[in-house]
Amino acid sequence: MIRRIPAEWKSKRFWKETVEAYLYLLPTLAVLGLFTFYPFVNAFLYSAYDIGTRTVPGEAILVVTADVEDWVSLLRRGRVPDPLSTFLAGKYGLDPQDLWVRLRQADRWVLRDEGAHREFVVLREGSHLTVRPAVTRWDLRPVGWANFQTVFADRDFHKSLINTTIYVAVSVPVTLFLALLLATVLNQAVRGRALFRTANFLPYITPWVAVAMVFRWIYNRDIGLLNYLLSSFAGLFGVQMSVLDWLNDPRLAMPALILMQVWRFTGYQALILLAGMQGIDREYYEAARVDGASSFQTWRKITVPLLTPQIFFLLIISLIGSFRIFEEVMILFMGSGPQNSALTMVYYIFRKAFESGQYGPASAASVILFAIIFVLSLFQLTVVQRRVHYER
Amino acid sequence: MSGVKGTTVYRVRRALWASTMYTLLLFTVVITALPFFWMITTSLKERAAVMRIPPQWIPSPVVWGNYVEAWNSAPFGRYFFNSFFIAVATTVGDVATSIPAGYALAKMVFLGRGLILALLLGTLMIPGQMLLVPTFILVNRIGWYNTYQVLIIPWTAGVFGMFLLRQFFKTVPDELWDSARIDGCSRLRYMFQIAVPLVRPGIATVALLKFVASWNAFLWVIVMTDRVDLRTVPVGLRFLQMEMGDFHHLLMAAATMAMVPILLLFLFAQKQFIQGIARTGLK
Repeated sequence: MIRRIPAEWKSKRFWKETVEAYLYLLPTLAVLGLFTFYPFVNAFLYSAYDIGTRTVPGEAILVVTADVEDWVSLLRRGRVPDPLSTFLAGKYGLDPQDLWVRLRQADRWVLRDEGAHREFVVLREGSHLTVRPAVTRWDLRPVGWANFQTVFADRDFHKSLINTTIYVAVSVPVTLFLALLLATVLNQAVRGRALFRTANFLPYITPWVAVAMVFRWIYNRDIGLLNYLLSSFAGLFGVQMSVLDWLNDPRLAMPALILMQVWRFTGYQALILLAGMQGIDREYYEAARVDGASSFQTWRKITVPLLTPQIFFLLIISLIGSFRIFEEVMILFMGSGPQNSALTMVYYIFRKAFESGQYGPASAASVILFAIIFVLSLFQLTVVQRRVHYER
Repeated sequence: MSGVKGTTVYRVRRALWASTMYTLLLFTVVITALPFFWMITTSLKERAAVMRIPPQWIPSPVVWGNYVEAWNSAPFGRYFFNSFFIAVATTVGDVATSIPAGYALAKMVFLGRGLILALLLGTLMIPGQMLLVPTFILVNRIGWYNTYQVLIIPWTAGVFGMFLLRQFFKTVPDELWDSARIDGCSRLRYMFQIAVPLVRPGIATVALLKFVASWNAFLWVIVMTDRVDLRTVPVGLRFLQMEMGDFHHLLMAAATMAMVPILLLFLFAQKQFIQGIARTGLK
């Protein structure tokens, strides 16, 4: 059987345009290829491996017998002893400024030179130290499903899964609901809308590290603003408030995190909804008025249904975005919260990989995170989008 | 009927309605502004005044020196330089790669167009955090750990900006290209001299959002580098927080400083920001 060749394949112009188009796409595809597609494939691959680094020392180039304790105490603090940097700089023609201690272990320290990408290891051998050039190798050993088994058996992982789910399940609908209310109010108020719009935008553009630091301060148990306001408010009604320890009470960690994130994103989401509301044809409202619909009925039956494209968009980006929560936790609690009460999935991945060096289990957890987000996206694309009302 | 225009009942109801609306709005503005107000107030207090309950709403005396002290407590000059340098470089790179790619996908007919579109759209579903471990290993293998290039090059191409520009390029009428081609204009020249000026608002939006995202980059920086002289402002803030746990007035001064450049950018380019954000929500 002969397959039909598309008509444009015969045209020379089509092929010329194809070559040109790929040239235009080349920079984007090259960067994404190296830093997105390739790591993406590797994320799956690495989840089936035990991965570690191994520093292989070479022949000793220097033996240190004097001032050994001084050297050790400097190295333990991550500092390169001056005589050592002078020696290495002289021997290899390096810039002494480029030398730093990459790895600190009990009796060995790995030094790295950033300019020439050389590595050295200082070994403590009895009463003296030796300095040797070193090579770092990544060791990959296939382990099948063992990484997934490790992760699934890890109580911390369960905790992170539960916390992330709670965070997503509460913060996404609460933020969206408040944003819808805010947008409705903004849509009514004609005077000063621009000012309110600007104000609502600020939390979203403010560097989130600054936001988390401010909230950490506001949440302070004894001298924080929130507890002061809450107790003053309770005082108005003659109620005695017990002191809430937002940052150190495991029961309050998630509420504290969610409150901050709702504060950050409500205004932004309201702006997107407001833009949608202003795009709705006024004729619909005229018709509703003629039919004698109340304001609430109009909102419920016209505004909200016609906003579904925006609501759907916000639902997707906030659901997927919320699963990535981590950095805010790190700043707000300066850790994962009391008793890991704010340990999230990405925090778990980060900790496994970059604090414990367990890259294999971290990759397995990454694959699980991806699977969750992937299933959610598919669900939204197939089920939710069918219920979206488009105006035309 | 109470809803008839012009009657007293109608006017009273309208006034009630309006005042409820404005009260609600004012309430949200207060909630939004309070943390900012608290940050700035705290940053100007003496250490003793910070600890006071009930809190001092307006600092007295006003201690501007907190900013000097905060600035000097860490190499903030270096941090700000790094943040600016990296944000500008990634923004320029992102715009430079997104223009031709967005144009090609919007206006050109070529083999595999659907496939490339699907591939690029698919990357939006990949959480960046999933790629941390494999990228970290890759970066170590190619010797980019602790370098500026690892903070810049991977971020010089972005699917988000590319798709936004594609939407903008789609609105440019094809007749322009047809007449330019008849006049013997090459496609590259047409793209830069005619199409790009027409999509300038789109480029401004992409650049602004990229700059802000880059300024806020944190996780990538702490994973891919660990040298003090490569720290960006957010990373520097985190280390300052670890070093001086309860010097709230200095921490708030540092947080305010970190916010200033973004705030200035926002005030100067408010229109582009808001239009850009609103547009991202529209189909």
